[in-house]
Amino acid sequence: MLRTLQNYHRGTARQSYQLLVFFVGGRRLAVKAVDVSGIFQWAEPIPVAGQTPFVTSVVRQGQTVLPVFDLAASLRLTVQGSRPLCLRVKHPLGEMAMCIDEEIPILHTLDPAALQTYHGKDLPADGSYTNGLDEIPILSVSQLGSTES
Amino acid sequence: MTGLSSPASPSRFLIVLLGGRYLALDAESIQGVLTLEEVGSLDDPMINGLVYRAINLAERLRVSNNQGTANNRIVLFSERGAHGSIRVTRVQGLLEIHPSQVLPLPSQFRGPERRWYQGMILFAKSIALVLNSSWVLDVQVASVEASGGQGGISRLVAAPKISMNNSRVC
Repeated sequence: MLRTLQNYHRGTARQSYQLLVFFVGGRRLAVKAVDVSGIFQWAEPIPVAGQTPFVTSVVRQGQTVLPVFDLAASLRLTVQGSRPLCLRVKHPLGEMAMCIDEEIPILHTLDPAALQTYHGKDLPADGSYTNGLDEIPILSVSQLGSTES
Repeated sequence: MTGLSSPASPSRFLIVLLGGRYLALDAESIQGVLTLEEVGSLDDPMINGLVYRAINLAERLRVSNNQGTANNRIVLFSERGAHGSIRVTRVQGLLEIHPSQVLPLPSQFRGPERRWYQGMILFAKSIALVLNSSWVLDVQVASVEASGGQGGISRLVAAPKISMNNSRVC
């Protein structure tokens, strides 16, 4: 369920970052590949009444129940496509699921020299990189849900 | 995690549907299940001299529950001398499981809901959230404790078990 977009620079591959580039509401975002534990078809979420911002449901995958972080809502976007995907990420408190656009994510290798600070306040980020005119934030999975963005 | 009974003994839960969500109530606290006809026009059902004050659980959980149908039931329950009744969309049945099958609420839920639920149970293709009876009866418990056990609520008299109509064992 992945496409590859290789962007190697000879001699720097060992230090490079492996990113997974995905889409939410048509917006391009990235996450470190090591923070991703899987990509699945999105299953109907089970609502959980509560007051935690953007954590209001769970998804069941067999015997496993994962909390859902509503990334699209936190960005005031709407997930696109009739067959959205489930991005499963490794959060320090336990794995989490996020609903993302149906567009197939891309594996991307980033030269560390291209890593820059992300100045946006709309999501927790470990940095960003530029692709053409787009600045693509690298989502900080460990900080998801720790702020009320 | 559950704190409901010893690890060796199974736990029993009444599974109900409320606002499109499955909820699990500790069967030890359940005093009975009534139809709307059995309750009649009383807001707070009185059974054997005990008043089961109506608790708007949907409002406390901030979920909508406007599915008034013939399947609606009033669940009577009590704990620590406090009594309450909640209206649910439907009673699904009784479920007996090992306490280890009650999963903890994921830590990412960090709001007041951590007090509302004692965990989760895999149920059908979904989950049932185990309600914290003490939280549900919070107001009643506080009221009983504030009155020092006075006020007409008989703390030491156990309410007789009432049959659970139209329930099915899952």
